[in-house]
Amino acid sequence: MDDTLEMPTAAPKPDVPQENEEENSSGDEDQGPDWTKIPGLPAARPVIPKRGEKDFEPTAQGGSGLQKHVLDRSRSAMLDALKGTRTIAHKSVSHGIWYPGLARAHVTVARGIHFSTMGHSVARPSTSSEDARKVQKRLELLPEEALYLVERGAMFCWKPTDLSLRPSAHLDDMEGVPMSAQQAYAEMIGSCDLTSEKYQVYAYLRRLGYVVTRAKPPTSDYPIPPPHPTTARTQVSILGRLYNAMSCLLARMARVFTGSLDWWQPIRRNGWLHHHINNTSLFKSLRFLPSGHSAPLHIQHTPEIPPSPYQVFYHLYKPSTPFKKTAPPPPDFSVVVVNARASPMPTISELTALFGELPVLPPPVPRKRVSFAQQKVAAASSKAPTNPLSKTLPASELSLGRRVITWVWPWAATKAETPARPPNPFPSLKMGNKTVVIAAVDAGTISFFRFGQGVFTEWPMV
Amino acid sequence: MSLIGPSSRKGGQKSGARRNENNRIYAHPLPLVCPAPAPGHILGLFGLSTARLENPHCEGVFDPATRSVWITNEKDSTILWRRGFFGKGDLSRSEPSWLARQVNTRKAAGKYMTSEEVREKRRAERRQFKLDRAAAIARAAAEAEAAFAEGREAAPALIPSGATWKPSATSDAPSLPEPPAEEEDDAELDEEEEPLENVEHLQLTLQETWFLVWNLDCLTVLDSQTHEPLTLQQIWRAVQDVHCIPRDLPVYVDRFDNPFLVNYAAYHYYRALGWIVKGGIKFCVDYLLYKRGPVFHHAEFAVVVIPVYEDPADQESSPFNLPNANTFSWTWLSTVNRVNSQVQKTLILTYVTIPARSRISPELLSSPACLAHYTVRDVVLRRFIPARMRD
Repeated sequence: MDDTLEMPTAAPKPDVPQENEEENSSGDEDQGPDWTKIPGLPAARPVIPKRGEKDFEPTAQGGSGLQKHVLDRSRSAMLDALKGTRTIAHKSVSHGIWYPGLARAHVTVARGIHFSTMGHSVARPSTSSEDARKVQKRLELLPEEALYLVERGAMFCWKPTDLSLRPSAHLDDMEGVPMSAQQAYAEMIGSCDLTSEKYQVYAYLRRLGYVVTRAKPPTSDYPIPPPHPTTARTQVSILGRLYNAMSCLLARMARVFTGSLDWWQPIRRNGWLHHHINNTSLFKSLRFLPSGHSAPLHIQHTPEIPPSPYQVFYHLYKPSTPFKKTAPPPPDFSVVVVNARASPMPTISELTALFGELPVLPPPVPRKRVSFAQQKVAAASSKAPTNPLSKTLPASELSLGRRVITWVWPWAATKAETPARPPNPFPSLKMGNKTVVIAAVDAGTISFFRFGQGVFTEWPMV
Repeated sequence: MSLIGPSSRKGGQKSGARRNENNRIYAHPLPLVCPAPAPGHILGLFGLSTARLENPHCEGVFDPATRSVWITNEKDSTILWRRGFFGKGDLSRSEPSWLARQVNTRKAAGKYMTSEEVREKRRAERRQFKLDRAAAIARAAAEAEAAFAEGREAAPALIPSGATWKPSATSDAPSLPEPPAEEEDDAELDEEEEPLENVEHLQLTLQETWFLVWNLDCLTVLDSQTHEPLTLQQIWRAVQDVHCIPRDLPVYVDRFDNPFLVNYAAYHYYRALGWIVKGGIKFCVDYLLYKRGPVFHHAEFAVVVIPVYEDPADQESSPFNLPNANTFSWTWLSTVNRVNSQVQKTLILTYVTIPARSRISPELLSSPACLAHYTVRDVVLRRFIPARMRD
């Protein structure tokens, strides 16, 4: 009960940017695009009212000329934007050949920046006749990558054919027939575990600038991040287990002396001599019921249970994360994609399984409270003062040494008591120590939710 | 008793003074008060002490019809409310303040505004603001329409916003006069009117009751008919039997999924961690978690209790039909999460596992020992907005 901790308030804090609105406002992503702002349209057009302020009902006098005018203008802007022919310079388009049997697109001409974060190299037997045994490395795209590039007009996709083709003047190096975007959708979705929901999530995140990779490598050629360091964790858990065993033993020995826990009186209050009780120890003694994610889960499963749709499918890297294609770093987020209509919310068993394969995250870095002026200065010098505070849990009880000191020199107590400001538990409580992002897709509308493994047991309020 | 006295509601009071006052009133997080350590005592060296916890020994009447325990004694209600925010006044929204509000209304008698009147005034002003704004928007639309018809640019219109709008002086809501509060007048008034009798009681939920009785032993529960104190064993049966209607049917025997047990496991979990746990029906959830209490901060977390059967067969044979026990849809989740993020609360899904009858002997249900076989684990839920997570 420390009211010097940051207290939650309903009022937005001007000096703490982003976090709250990030969580609570729906943001721009829910609205449609403002077509009149899309470039490439006739520039001379009247200014329309700010987006988001709509007239919901007709005026009392009947139809409004102004409203009709504004609507017509927006509508025609949209139609013009859609009508425009999408073009790309011949020099900047990439080329690929889609192999349905492999479910991969072989990139024959790679242009542009896309391939720094997309595609992977695969060793395939050479296609040319003279050295059929020779293995050649080539750049291949997963179906979602190929489809995304076709969709945005960055790649021209071909499909091998048995038909004998008349050699053409410009396209003599191309084999096969060209694929339309429609054909690409029809052929690529459904191959290599790609569903339309997964493609929609992929394309949405790619358009936002994220690097999106498969979490489970479809083949051994596919580069994946190194497994999260489990060695350190097992070491800790061995120590933890040792500690648990010791404390368990001690508790049992104590039980021998005090008698077993009387379930009609779980908290002992009698005896003329007892440990000094304060609120902290009183609350601690209340925590005798099993809780937390480490408690065993005894859920019985029926054998004919279908495989869970809750598997991590994508790894997500923020645009700011340095990404090396051949050696991807640990992902920023793990994403599960489900069909919101077909799959209900995950059960606790499914969530436990998901959390089981995720790394434990460090507690969130506390934000430094800086005034607006300081923020401006910091922004000007473009230095991010990130100084992660070391996690120091409040010392709940005084050590024996401290008690001796206090008893011998009572005045020393005040001097020794210069506690650092305890860490704010709320960021940790709100994030949890493991996080999985679940994208529930309903007919093209994607809802992203972040499920965190709660750490309430580690951050008692008293 | 008068927690909401006129003195604490004066507009000019500093919030710091209010906070100090609250820190003093609500200093104890539990009805049991820990003794202050005696410095210099030899036992203090070993962290031992002879001082006892101060136990208030409150008293309440069990009312099975409302599934609550009524604390009618004013002193006890005050203690239970102030030390840990237990219960709710039956004529108030949370703190049992009916009498204080009545006294305040009488005392005010038109001389100054009670908090209810302030609220009504604020609502009236808000309504007037919305009307004014709608009128201004309509005027601006008409002006724009006229300008469009004439083919000229419309002048920018001034639409009042919540920050700039001021109630006009001709507003019919009464303005706040100075509170003169002369003592003689008050005395006269009090003599004229018949004295107020407190008809409000504090009602404790069964979870709160069991927590106070079982863990802290600071509450005596009386039978509603005989007014005899109930034993701990009788209370243990009674709090579960209220969910079994009609009573004594064989389907209700040996059920680990009695709603009381499931909810108590979650309630105890958060209470033991030091949270103040209150009902959350207004936010589509089961519980709200306050860091220190409703008078200090808004609730930070909204808890949905999700019962999980270890053995699906137990769910099929269950007479209880526990809410949220079936896997729910994404629609439901979005609904609850939207409501709670609107009020700046983080949604917590609290999974309570119900021990399988095939694993745990139902005999354990005869005592609270069965609670050791429930587990509570929490999952934090937040929306993830990729557009804002890019850094």
